[in-house]
Amino acid sequence: MSRSSFASPVLRAARLMLVVGALTVCARAVSTTSPHFYPDDPIEREPESQDASKAQPYFIGSMYEMTTNLFVTAGYKPSGTRAQNINTIDEVPNSSWFTNRIGTASVTVDEIARGPNRGAPPDPSHWILTREKTSGAHPGFTARDAKGETWFLEFDPPYFPEGATGAVEVATKIFWALGYNQVETFLTTFDPRRATFDERATIRRPSGARTPFTNDDLNAVLEQVAKRPDGTYRVVAGRLLPGKILGGFQYDGTRPDDPNDVVPHEHRRELRALRVFGAWTNLTDLKASNTLDTLVTDHDRTVVKHYLQDVGSTFGMCNDLYEWDLSYEHFIQGDTTRRRLLSFGFALSPWQTVHYVEYPSIGKFEGDVFDPRAWRPQTPTTAYMELRDDDAFWAARRVAAFSDELIRAAVHTGEFSDAAAEKYLGDVLIKRRNKVVSAYLPAVNPIVNPRLDRSGRLSFENAATKTGAATGTAVYHASWFRFDNATGETEPVSETQSATTTIEPPPDLATSAGGFVAVDVSIENAAYPAWRRPVRSHFRRETAGWRLVGLSHLPERLPSAPDLHASTR
Amino acid sequence: MHRHGLWILFVVVAGVTDGATASVAAQETAVATREAVIEQAQIEKSETLHPYVPTRTEALFNRAEDILVNGVPRWHPFFESAYYGGGFTFGVGYAHHVSSYNMLDVRGSYTVLGYKRIEAELTAPRLFHRRGSLSLLGGWREATQAAFYGFGMGTALDNRADFDFRQPYGSATLTLRPTRRLLLLRGSAEVSQWSQRPAEGSDFPSVESKYTPATLPGLGTTTTYLHSQGTVGFDWRTSPGYSRRGGFYGVTLHDYADKDERFGFRQVDYEAIQDVPILREAWVISLRAIARTTYAKSDQQVPFFLLPYVGSGSTMRGFTSHRFRDQNGLTLQGEWRIMANRFMDTAVFYDTGKVAAQRADLDLHGMKSDYGFGVRFHGPFTTPLRVEVARSPEGARLVVATSPIF
Repeated sequence: MSRSSFASPVLRAARLMLVVGALTVCARAVSTTSPHFYPDDPIEREPESQDASKAQPYFIGSMYEMTTNLFVTAGYKPSGTRAQNINTIDEVPNSSWFTNRIGTASVTVDEIARGPNRGAPPDPSHWILTREKTSGAHPGFTARDAKGETWFLEFDPPYFPEGATGAVEVATKIFWALGYNQVETFLTTFDPRRATFDERATIRRPSGARTPFTNDDLNAVLEQVAKRPDGTYRVVAGRLLPGKILGGFQYDGTRPDDPNDVVPHEHRRELRALRVFGAWTNLTDLKASNTLDTLVTDHDRTVVKHYLQDVGSTFGMCNDLYEWDLSYEHFIQGDTTRRRLLSFGFALSPWQTVHYVEYPSIGKFEGDVFDPRAWRPQTPTTAYMELRDDDAFWAARRVAAFSDELIRAAVHTGEFSDAAAEKYLGDVLIKRRNKVVSAYLPAVNPIVNPRLDRSGRLSFENAATKTGAATGTAVYHASWFRFDNATGETEPVSETQSATTTIEPPPDLATSAGGFVAVDVSIENAAYPAWRRPVRSHFRRETAGWRLVGLSHLPERLPSAPDLHASTR
Repeated sequence: MHRHGLWILFVVVAGVTDGATASVAAQETAVATREAVIEQAQIEKSETLHPYVPTRTEALFNRAEDILVNGVPRWHPFFESAYYGGGFTFGVGYAHHVSSYNMLDVRGSYTVLGYKRIEAELTAPRLFHRRGSLSLLGGWREATQAAFYGFGMGTALDNRADFDFRQPYGSATLTLRPTRRLLLLRGSAEVSQWSQRPAEGSDFPSVESKYTPATLPGLGTTTTYLHSQGTVGFDWRTSPGYSRRGGFYGVTLHDYADKDERFGFRQVDYEAIQDVPILREAWVISLRAIARTTYAKSDQQVPFFLLPYVGSGSTMRGFTSHRFRDQNGLTLQGEWRIMANRFMDTAVFYDTGKVAAQRADLDLHGMKSDYGFGVRFHGPFTTPLRVEVARSPEGARLVVATSPIF
């Protein structure tokens, strides 16, 4: 992976070249006859045209990644540039990273309950242990079930019975619905009386040698995990992914051995958006080792598929019962460190006073004090730092698409034995959903789904008012332009306005096939000055009517990087 | 970022993003669709593919991670000096696994005052189904200018006299946690020979110039001990190396058997440690009390160099090492630790203590005290660096240590 170590002079030069390149392209676009919109705009799928079979596994060290993120990435100045993998209507096309699901199509209760699961669950009547678990916070094994299929088993720590396994199960469903590639997971049972060792099963010892897996190794794990009264253990089983395992992906740069990976990861919207989805679900452990790239064959071509493979650090699940500052601070954060040092700890941090409802199966997870903009993962990533308000708006629309019913359906898959705990988790997710929506939908002009009918009448939706995230009287102003797709030049036509989300067109709007119009819609609402920045839509006249080909909520590059780190606390 | 990466970025900006950045690449290659623009970038990249190559820094970090997470470094630093008061310590060790878990570590250290230690330890950390561990240790050490200020609390700094000792030692220590948590049992047997000699290289007078064997038991002697000890304790800290909650309460019984029956004695150590988290562990009040009492065997004496003491980087930090010695010792320590972040604490501390000839005098009267401020860099289970400034009526002292205070 070409590591985007922004601290390096080389990369600074690269970024400068990127900017210069972009500006050069823009300038030339105006002066040439190249099309502004291509006939296939907006694309619905990011093409992967090249064979990636030469991609090789590699190891991303957690220590290096954590150190870099805490001490270098934390000081990263966001470029302020628009996400680079979006199409011309401000949406993320499907790709080997992401599949549009909720928010684009309807997701049913049954679908979210099934999530990524396509195959049958494991048969836990006999487990054959093959290897130790080498990643993740909670103990586990690699094992084959009675049908001979390989699974990764993870247990609950004794202080979170049902918690860790439930979090993996529920979060997997949520992140699948959000569009991420997820591992098939099932809650099942591990009975040590019905477990044996593969004759070739080994475990890595401190000496570095791999020696046979023993009963003592099994006991060493089982002594650390939550045991049921009947002597069995609840586990979450993750199915072995198909294809060749390549290791995790990083949140910046690109894989140097994947020809189709041409957008730096920090500029992929779905990775930036993990800041929003992470805040909602409290996915605090954003690191490469919780991701996975695999080499798979898709439509006769070998491509790299990218997974968020471990989303279990959600809903307050963590390595210790007493990680109070989790989700409120990075592991090391300059401002809070200084504040505590100078005040001898008398300047209290929010996590010191927030009230948590205690359920053994639920971690420190609440929705009353939660502030999406103040939320912090364990360490920042470059993609996290690059989040712009239009990325957050895109993400918040997906969060808003989770109905109470869908949330409770996802939570129900956690199979919590305490109904009150299940209800509490659902309640908190609903509260946090509402806060995410309220924080990010009104932050930009929330015009969505603009369309022109055959007569040119413009209609659209206000995502913020539609979801209840914003209120107040609004007046919608539309500035109409003729748009030359060859030169990119615009010619003002007229301005119209409306108190509703339908605006009449000017009488002299172009209507010939192949013609383009651009419409800037701004909103006058005293409570939301950001809405005065117009949303620009481009429409192409086709035989069947007007087709939306362009939509942008914010400029390509913001004059100053957004300060999304500002805490409201 | 490599040169081809710059080109890719350039092309991607031109092709993938909003139509406002219509593509030069598209024009130059006469591509007619958005997909073709992106594919063009992919074709360009496919000509310059290469495996991932970590930077030198990343490779070093990965090596360090491999050592810390997956194994023990063969060569490692070793900061344990031969004896308190030797000054900054330099040392190195070489560790080698002799089996999956058992390890032989050969190490040595040297201090700025010339204290020397060299030893080898074989550790077996997984005995009795991980309920026990065994350490076999053998070595030799020398402290060239260890301090002795006299007996009791009434001594002055000017009373300092120095001594040298050399000690070969060999021991076996078995630690058991029968219930895995809480209950701690430890037993040890050590054979060692203490050779007390005149100080070397010291600015202070040597002990034999101020004392006689009659006034200073053990002066100029060579004593061979069979030192056996047993500990019973309850330990529910998260780790002895770093803890923000929990406690340790234990008693250790020592028997020093002198084969010549001149300096045999018994010693009882009482130790209590309690960490009290406050405000969700942003503050921790850490308290420690340790009392050491000695009992000379019939017609025998406790040699001066093995008397309980107060004053050191882990007892009374504002006083020089071994500042006060006598038959019994008591140290009380309190710390207010303030979490700065996950890897750093600061602490304001107060130490007080005394030594006394009689156990009955081991009360709270006549104690000496110090206070100070410190910074600790720690992980979840260890404290690799502790830097403290302590002040006592006898001046200020800087403490740099590679272990927790208690």
